[in-house]
Amino acid sequence: MTTMATKPHNEPAVYVYEAPLRLWHWINAFSIIVLCVTGYFIGSPLPTMSGEASDHYLMGYIRFVHFTAGYIFAIGFLFRIYWAFAGNEHARQLFMPPIFNREWWGGVWHETKWYFFLTKEPRKYIGHNPLAVLAMYILFVWIVLFMIVTGFALYGEGTGYDSWQYTLFSSWVIPLFGQSQDVHTWHHAVMWVMICFVMIHVYVAIREDIMSRQSLVSTMISGWRTFKDNRSVDDGH
Amino acid sequence: MSIVNTPNGYKLDTSGQRVVVDPVTRIEGHMRAEVNIDENNIITNAVSSGTIWRGLEVILKGRDPRDAWAFVQRICGVCTGTHALTSVRAVEDALGINIPENANSIRNIMQLSLQVHDHLVHFYHLHALDWVNPVNALKADPKATSALQQQVSPNHPNSSPGYFRDVQNRLKKFVESGQLGPFRNGYWTNPAYLLPPEADLMAVTHYLEALDFQKEIMKTRTIFGGKDTHPNWTVGGVPCPINVDGTGGVGALNMVNLNQVHQILKDSQTFIKNVYIPDILAIGQFYKGWLYGGGLSSQNVLAYGDIPDRANDYSPANLMMPSGAIINGDLSKVHDVDLTDPEQVQEFVPHSWYKYPDGVKGLHPWDGVTDPQFDVSSAKGTSQNIEELDESASYSWIKAPRWRGHAMEVGPLARYIIGYAKGDKEITEQIELVLKTLDVPVTALYSTLGRTAARALEAQWAADKQLYFFDKLMTNIKNGDSSTHSGEMWDPADWPSEAKGVGFTEAPRGALGHWIKIKDTKIDNYQCVVPTTWNGSPRDEAGNIGAFEASMMNTKVAVAKEPVEILRNIHSFDPCLACSTHVMSEDGEELASVTTSPIGS
Amino acid sequence: MTDTFYDVMRRQGITRRSFLKFCSLTAAAMGLSPIYASKIAHAMENKPRIPVLWLHGLECTCCSESFIRSGHPLAKDVILSMISLDYDSVIMASAGHEAEAIVDEVIAEHKGKYILACEGNPGLEQDVTGGMSCIVGGKPYTAQLRAAAKDAMAIISWGSCASWGCVQAAKPNPTGATPIHKVPDIGNAPIIKVPGCPPIAEVMTAVITYMLTFEQLPTLDRQGRPKMFYSQRIHDKCYRRPHFDAGQFVEQWDDEGARQGYCLYKMGCKGPTTYNACSTIRWNGGLSFPIQSGHPCIGCSEDGFWDKGGFYDRLSDINQFGIESNADEIGMGAAGLVGGAVAAHAAVSALKRTQQKGDEE
Repeated sequence: MTTMATKPHNEPAVYVYEAPLRLWHWINAFSIIVLCVTGYFIGSPLPTMSGEASDHYLMGYIRFVHFTAGYIFAIGFLFRIYWAFAGNEHARQLFMPPIFNREWWGGVWHETKWYFFLTKEPRKYIGHNPLAVLAMYILFVWIVLFMIVTGFALYGEGTGYDSWQYTLFSSWVIPLFGQSQDVHTWHHAVMWVMICFVMIHVYVAIREDIMSRQSLVSTMISGWRTFKDNRSVDDGH
Repeated sequence: MSIVNTPNGYKLDTSGQRVVVDPVTRIEGHMRAEVNIDENNIITNAVSSGTIWRGLEVILKGRDPRDAWAFVQRICGVCTGTHALTSVRAVEDALGINIPENANSIRNIMQLSLQVHDHLVHFYHLHALDWVNPVNALKADPKATSALQQQVSPNHPNSSPGYFRDVQNRLKKFVESGQLGPFRNGYWTNPAYLLPPEADLMAVTHYLEALDFQKEIMKTRTIFGGKDTHPNWTVGGVPCPINVDGTGGVGALNMVNLNQVHQILKDSQTFIKNVYIPDILAIGQFYKGWLYGGGLSSQNVLAYGDIPDRANDYSPANLMMPSGAIINGDLSKVHDVDLTDPEQVQEFVPHSWYKYPDGVKGLHPWDGVTDPQFDVSSAKGTSQNIEELDESASYSWIKAPRWRGHAMEVGPLARYIIGYAKGDKEITEQIELVLKTLDVPVTALYSTLGRTAARALEAQWAADKQLYFFDKLMTNIKNGDSSTHSGEMWDPADWPSEAKGVGFTEAPRGALGHWIKIKDTKIDNYQCVVPTTWNGSPRDEAGNIGAFEASMMNTKVAVAKEPVEILRNIHSFDPCLACSTHVMSEDGEELASVTTSPIGS
Repeated sequence: MTDTFYDVMRRQGITRRSFLKFCSLTAAAMGLSPIYASKIAHAMENKPRIPVLWLHGLECTCCSESFIRSGHPLAKDVILSMISLDYDSVIMASAGHEAEAIVDEVIAEHKGKYILACEGNPGLEQDVTGGMSCIVGGKPYTAQLRAAAKDAMAIISWGSCASWGCVQAAKPNPTGATPIHKVPDIGNAPIIKVPGCPPIAEVMTAVITYMLTFEQLPTLDRQGRPKMFYSQRIHDKCYRRPHFDAGQFVEQWDDEGARQGYCLYKMGCKGPTTYNACSTIRWNGGLSFPIQSGHPCIGCSEDGFWDKGGFYDRLSDINQFGIESNADEIGMGAAGLVGGAVAAHAAVSALKRTQQKGDEE
C-alpha cells in the first residue's frame, strides 16, 4: 500500500486514506458529537423529571452514553496510533509534523497567506497541507490526549479506588490539577476547544473541497484524492 | 512617669513587678496578658493583646454575597453559626429580602442552641478549672458529695455515692498514672482555690457529664443545618425544607426529625436546670467574697439585641434579647443603638498593629480601613521573641472599637444589666433569684462572678426560648405554612447595581455586627466588629483601657507567679480571639478606605 | 503505673461483656471485620497512653469543637483513657510559661514517641506581619510548630487548615497561610491529613484509635489522607444518588423537589467531587449531613474549595488569565467567535471566488 502513495504525481487520483482510517475518522467524528452533547448535559442537566426515581434513569443513560462514546473515542485513538505504524505514509502525518524542515514551514506560511487571501492559489497536496498538519497536531492530537486522560481520571472516580482507571489516571491526574472539581472544570472547558476545532475543521474541509486544487470531503469517504489540475503536487517525494 | 490616670477612671501604675501570661489558654485563639503587681500583690496595670489574625474580610472582597456566610462562619468554630447568621442578615438587609416565619423560628432555635452549648462548654471546659481543683477532688468523701448533690439539685439522677466513687476512682487512677494530660502543670496548690473537696468532686463529675452532654445540644443544628460544627445557612431562609405530610416527606424535615429536635430541646433545658444552674449557685456560695473583675461592667455596657420574635423585624421591641447602651453606670437611661450612625460605632487603631491614612480618627465600619503594620520595636525583646510589650505603643492585633467614644463591655453580663435596667421581667426575676440565693447586693453583679452567673442564667433563658420557637414552628406548620425559603432576590440578575446592609446578632460572647457593601453582584466591602474586639480592645487615643484590661485592674493575686486570678477574670468574658482580629491586604492600597453613606437614616 | 482504657471502663462499672461490645462497635465503625474487635480489646487493655501535643495555629477551633462531639468513642474517654493530651491550649489548665514548658518537656521525654496534632496552620508572610500573624509565648507559632514536628512520631493535620490551607489561605491569602506539609523545615515525620471544615468527629477519633490499636499509621492515599475515610466521594454513597441517576433535581430552594429530597446537583452540590465520609458516617452520631438537610455540599474537605467559584454554581469559575467565568461561558463565547469568523471567512471566500471566475471569463 505504501508504494501506492509514492506513485507519480500527476495521476488523476491517488489512494490516500485507507479503509480502516476512513472508518476511524467517521466513528471518531460521531463519538465527538455524542461526547459533546452528553457532556454538556452532564454539566447542565435537563429540567427535572417528576415521579418516582425508580421510573427514570435519564442522567444514568446520559452518563452511560457519554462513557460508552468515551471508550469508543479512546479505543479509536489507540487504533489510530497503531495505524500510524501499520497504515500508509499519510497515516503518520498527523503525529509527526516535520517541524525541523524549513521547506515545510514555508508551506505553512504559504497556506496561511492563502487563508488570508494574500495569495491567489494554494499549493497542491496529496496528503494534508502543512498548515492543516500543524493545526491537527496541536488542536487534535494533544486535545484528544488531554480529554482521554482527564476523562478517564474522572471516570476512575466512579469505578473506584482499586480500578485500573483510577490507578492509571485518577491517582495522579487529580492531585496534579489540585482536586476533582478542577479536573471537571478543565475537562469541560477543553470540550469547547474541541468544538471550535470541529467547526474550523468542517468549514475548512468544505471550503478547500471547493476552492483548493484537490478533493477533500469525498476523499475521506472514498479514500481517493482527486485533483483539479495536472500540475505537479507540492508534497511529492 | 509611672502613673497614668485613664479617662475611664483607672489609675495605671507600672512600677511593680511585671508578669506575662502568654499564651492565655482555655480560650479560642491566641492571646497574651501582661500585668504589673505591687508589693501587696494587687494588679496595678493590665495589658491584653490579641496575638492572631487571619485576614478574612479582605478574602471576601469580590465574592458572591450569597457565599459570604460560609467564609465568615469560619471566623470562629466555637461560636459557630453566629457569624453566618449575622452575614445572611446583612445580605438580606442590603437586598431587602424577607424570610418566612418558619425560617425565623429555625434560625432562632439554631442561634439559641449555640447560646446554650457555648455557655455550658465555656463554663465547664474553659472556665471551671479557674474555680475548681480536680486534684483536691481526690480528697472528697463520695457520700458527702452525694449528699451535696442531692441538696443542690434534687432532681438530677446521677447522685448516688457509688457514682461519685466511680468518678473519683477514675480520676485517682488518672492522676496516679503520672500522665496528667490537660491538667498537667496546673496551679493545684494555689490558695486561690476555695472549694471544699466535695464541691470539687461534684464539679469535676459535671465537667465530664457536661462533656458527654454538650454534643447532644448541637444535634438540633445537625438536623436543621446538616452538620455541626459549621452548619449550613442560606440567604433568604433556611436550606432545610419541611414536608410533614406529603410524598417524599422522609427527604425533608419530617415528624421524626421534629420529634428528635423536641427531645433534644427538652433534655437541654433539663440539664441546664439540674446541673449548670445549681453548680453556679453552689460554687458562687464559696466565692461570693471574691468579687473582683467587674471592670467596665459597672460603667459602660452595650448590646445590639437578637432573637426576633416575628420574622424580618429587627426593631428593639421585637427582639427578645435586650439591646441598648448604658453609660457611666446610669441604669436609669438605656440609650438606643443605631449601627448605621457613623457617630456611634467607631474603631480606633493607635495601639493596634494597623495604621489609618489620616492618623488617629475613629472610623465607622462602613468606612473601615485595615492596613497592617506589625511593630514591636519599643517592646522588650526582639520582633521574633517578645519579652514585654510596650503598651504606650502598638501592642495588639485587635482594634479598639468605641461607642460614642466609650470603651464598652459586651456579653451576657452586659445583656443582663441592660435587660435589668429596662425592667425585662424574665431577666429581672432570674437576677433577683440569684442575688437572694447567694445573699449578695445587686452590685455583686459587677464582677467576674457576676459575669459567670449571667452566662448561666442566659443559658437557662435560651433553653426555654428554644422551646418557645419550637412551639411556634409547629403551630405555623399546623396552620398550613411549610415555607422555609422566600426565593425572592436569589438571582443576582434581580439585584441593584449597588446595595449595602448591616446584620447583627448577640453572639454568646456579646454584640456582633457585620457591614456589607455589594457592587455589581459582588462584595465590595465587608467589615465585622465582633464581641472580643469590644472586650479585648487595647487602649484608644484618649487612653481608655478595654474591658479585659479593666477587669484585671485592682485584682489581688494570691501567688504572683501563678496567674489563676488573671485567667479567671479574662475567661469570664469567654474570649474568642480568632473572631476579634482584623484583616490585612497584601498591599495597603488595595484595601484603601471604602466610603459609603450609612443606610436608612 | 499506667492507666489503660479497659481498667477505666471496668472501674466505671462497665462489664467485660459491654467492653467487648464497645470494641466490636469500634471495629464496625472503622469498617473492619469482627476479628479485629479482639485486637482492639487487647490494645485497650494493655497500652499506656501515648502523649499528644495538640497545637493551634491560624484556625477557628472548629476541629476541636468537632472532636468533642464524637459519640464513639466519647471525647472524654479519648482524653482520659486513650491518649495523654499533654498540651492543647484550648482545654489545658495551665497557661503562660508553665504551658509552654510542657511542649519542651514532652519533646525531651518522648523523643520520636509522641503524636503532634496540628489544628490550623502557620502564616509565613514576612513583609507586613514579620511572620507574627500568630504569636505563641511571644514567638511566631511557626517556631513552636517546627520544634514539635522535628521529633514527632507522626503528625496529624486536622482539618482543611492544616491539610490544605483553608479559608485564610483563600485568595489572596494575606497571611501567607501554609498547610503543614508545605512548611519549610517541617522535618520528616509522616503526615496524616484529615481534611474537612471540620472533619467528622467520629473520623477524628477513629484515626486516633486506629493508630493506637494497630500501632501503625493508617494507609494513606496519594494526597496523604486515610484511605478508609477519604477514598470515596460523597456522591458515590449519597442516598440521593437514585434521584441523580433519574435526572430528578432540586431546581430552587424549597421547591417540590427539595421537599421530596431530590438531588442537589443543580444547586451546586460538590458531592461528586468531594472525598469524604459524610454520606456514610454522617454527622453528630450519624444524624444527618449537609445534603440530607437540604443544602448542597460545599466540598469543605477538598483542596482550595473556597476558590472554585460560587457554592451554588455547578460549574466552577476559571480564574486564569484575569477572567472569571465558567467553562460554558468561556466556551460558548469562543465557539461564537469561531462561528462568526468562519461565516465571515466563507463570505469573503465566496466573494473572491466569484471575482476570480469573473476574471477567468
